[in-house]
Amino acid sequence: MSDEQNHNVSRRQFLTYTLTGVGGFMAAGIILPMARFAIDPVLQAESEGDMKAVTDVSELTDTPQRFDFSYEQEDAWNTSEVTETAFIYQSGEEIVALSNTCTHLGCKVSWGSSSDHPNQFYCPCHGGRYEKDGTNIEGTPPTEPLHKYQVEVREGTVYVGKAEPQV
Amino acid sequence: MRWSTEDIPSFVKERQYVDTVLLPLLPVEFGDGIRQSAAMTEFITVMTAELEKQFRGRILLAPSYTYLAADEESRPSSEELNKWIESMKKEKLKHIILLTADSSWKKAEHDLDAFLIWMPLVPLENLEASYKKQVISEQIKQLLPVIMDIWKKEGNS
Repeated sequence: MSDEQNHNVSRRQFLTYTLTGVGGFMAAGIILPMARFAIDPVLQAESEGDMKAVTDVSELTDTPQRFDFSYEQEDAWNTSEVTETAFIYQSGEEIVALSNTCTHLGCKVSWGSSSDHPNQFYCPCHGGRYEKDGTNIEGTPPTEPLHKYQVEVREGTVYVGKAEPQV
Repeated sequence: MRWSTEDIPSFVKERQYVDTVLLPLLPVEFGDGIRQSAAMTEFITVMTAELEKQFRGRILLAPSYTYLAADEESRPSSEELNKWIESMKKEKLKHIILLTADSSWKKAEHDLDAFLIWMPLVPLENLEASYKKQVISEQIKQLLPVIMDIWKKEGNS
C-alpha cells in the first residue's frame, strides 16, 4: 500500500513539475537563439568557407593562364552573379593565383599582352606592368603588387578564396 | 568608373588618369519599335558595363544618352549630342566613345566629334544564362583592341 502511495503524484508536485518543465522550455527558447547569435562567427568559419573550385591541378603549367570563376554577390537591391578572373600557374610545388585587377585604378591586366614585355602582366589603361610573381615594376603607375588569392587543393581540384594584398 | 556616388569621388581624385568617356546611345520608342528599343537598351547596357569593368581605371561610364528613335528617313539630331560631347571635352576628357546598336547614327557619324562604335543588336532574350555570357564576352574581346587603338591613335595623355 505505502509503495503505491509513493508512486502517486500530489497536486503540488504535479504543478511544480509542469511549471519547471514549461519554464525550462521557455528559458531555452530565449537563450538558445541568443547563444547562436553569439557564436555565429564560429559556426560560419566551420563551414566549407568561400573557396570556389576553379580548375584541375593537371591543367596548370608554369605559365600563368586565365581562369574565370563566378559566385553570387548580394548588393543592396539585387543578387548578382559576379565573375572574377585569376591568373594561375605552378611555381615548383606551389600554386600561385593572382588577381587580374590592376592595383593602380582597377583595370584588368593580362599576361604577356604587351609585345614589348611578353613575360610580364600588362595593364592596357596606363601601361602598368608586373613581374610573373605579381611584383609591380618600378616606373609604371601601380604602387603595389597584384593581389594574391588563397589557394587550396583538394582531390586534384584547385580552389581559390579571397584575394589579398601581397604586402 | 561608374556614374555612382561610390566611383565619382575616385574619378575626381584621379582625374589625370581618366581621359575617356563611354557614352551609350539608346533610342527610345513607345510604338511598334518598343521591343527593339528595350532589346537595344539591354544589350548596350550589358556591353558598356562590361567594358567599364575592363577599363575602369581610364574610362568614365556616363549616364546613357536617350532620345526618341528616328524614323526611316530622318536621322537622329547630332546637335544636342554634340553639346554633350563639347562639355566633356571642356573637362579634358579627350577620348569620347559612343556605343550604340542604332544604325541610324552611322549616317550622322561625320557630324559627331567623337568615336562612334555601332554594334549590330544581338538578341539576348531567349539565350540561356551561360550562353549569354559567352556571347557577350566574345563581343567584348573584339571591342577591347578597338578601344586600345583609339588610345594609341588619338595619343596618350
